[in-house]
Amino acid sequence: MNCVELHQSLAEVEDGGSVERLAHLRACPACSALVRDLNQIAAAASRLQAADEPSPRVWNSIEVALRQEGLIRLQRAGRPLITTFSRWGAARWLVPAAAMLLLALGISVRRELRPNPSAQQASVAVPVANPSDLNDDDLRQEIANNTPEIKTLYEENLRQVNDSIRDAQGVVDETPNDEDARRSLMDAYQQKAMLFELAMDHSAE
Amino acid sequence: MTEPRHQQTTEPSEAELIERAKLGDAVAFQALYDKHKRRVYSLCLRMTANTAEAEDLAQEAFLQLFRKIATFRGESAFSTWLHRLSVNVVLMHLRKKSLPVVSLEETTQGTEEDSPKRDFGADDIALAGSIDRMQLQRAVDNLPPGYRTIFVLHDIEGYEHNEIAKIAGCSIGNSKSQLHKARMKLRDLLKMNRAEKATKSRVG
Repeated sequence: MNCVELHQSLAEVEDGGSVERLAHLRACPACSALVRDLNQIAAAASRLQAADEPSPRVWNSIEVALRQEGLIRLQRAGRPLITTFSRWGAARWLVPAAAMLLLALGISVRRELRPNPSAQQASVAVPVANPSDLNDDDLRQEIANNTPEIKTLYEENLRQVNDSIRDAQGVVDETPNDEDARRSLMDAYQQKAMLFELAMDHSAE
Repeated sequence: MTEPRHQQTTEPSEAELIERAKLGDAVAFQALYDKHKRRVYSLCLRMTANTAEAEDLAQEAFLQLFRKIATFRGESAFSTWLHRLSVNVVLMHLRKKSLPVVSLEETTQGTEEDSPKRDFGADDIALAGSIDRMQLQRAVDNLPPGYRTIFVLHDIEGYEHNEIAKIAGCSIGNSKSQLHKARMKLRDLLKMNRAEKATKSRVG
């Protein structure tokens, strides 16, 4: 192998190479230096990954856009999220129930306060005794005036959260003393409560 | 003495963040952004060599991701999904600017405008010592866009040639050839840079 042939082979050969190639590299300082440099460049390149940070402007713009599109909302200060409930013991069951209760009440009250409510709407006041009575149609009504994209997003989330509740309920029914299963069910109800709350926020905007 | 009650402070996993973001949680969106912003922005910066463009493209990539987050099913890694999406955003941008994603040199025989010098067997100076990160970054910025795209995807981001061929819409052979030429061009640029520095230090 000569220098020209070696250069022509460089694009194809990632590492090592043929016996002829290695023999040429041992005998030719120029080609040997070239190959060493190219390997060095490739090795140094990997250190360039994820080395730079965008300015705060980028997140600010993203946040503004997502808020305008209704995809994110303000996180209320100190508002506990699902993961913070896991050490509350038996009392934590009250949380999703209370959340659903409040949301149900909220929806009912808001309906009562709406100008010109139809008789049909007024009669659909949500029963508050049982959180599971908060049906999905109530949520759909809350988001009825949003864009199709938003409504699709809610429908998808609603489907997922209902699947989660059904699965978790099934496990709890089979193993009532399973702490993890009860926690999963509680989490799923909490997710649904958040979804209703979000829908109310959207509806209020 | 009773221990104070602590709120659980374990950092949520990426899967948890994604689920929360799907529900519209602003904090989760920001946490996902913070986790991946450097990689996405660096990719955009390397491929465009322009900070303003890179920021706009990083913003666009995250926006597209967050708009689609409800469809994320977790079959593939979130970072892989985001990364592929970011590459597509940049390539679309380059195409709109009419910059070649892959160098046209492959199909234009005899034009060596951007091609590295072929000093076969010449007794030239090697790049002695380690390569400075900043020097390399500047050299990458000075690569022609076609070379830069392939070099960034392969040597910096770690894509394989078959993946690059699919992403950039070229052949595997073309990707290999472009990468080799990009490395050769970088070698020339780095050597020139060192020669200039050596001259300045002698004069100074």
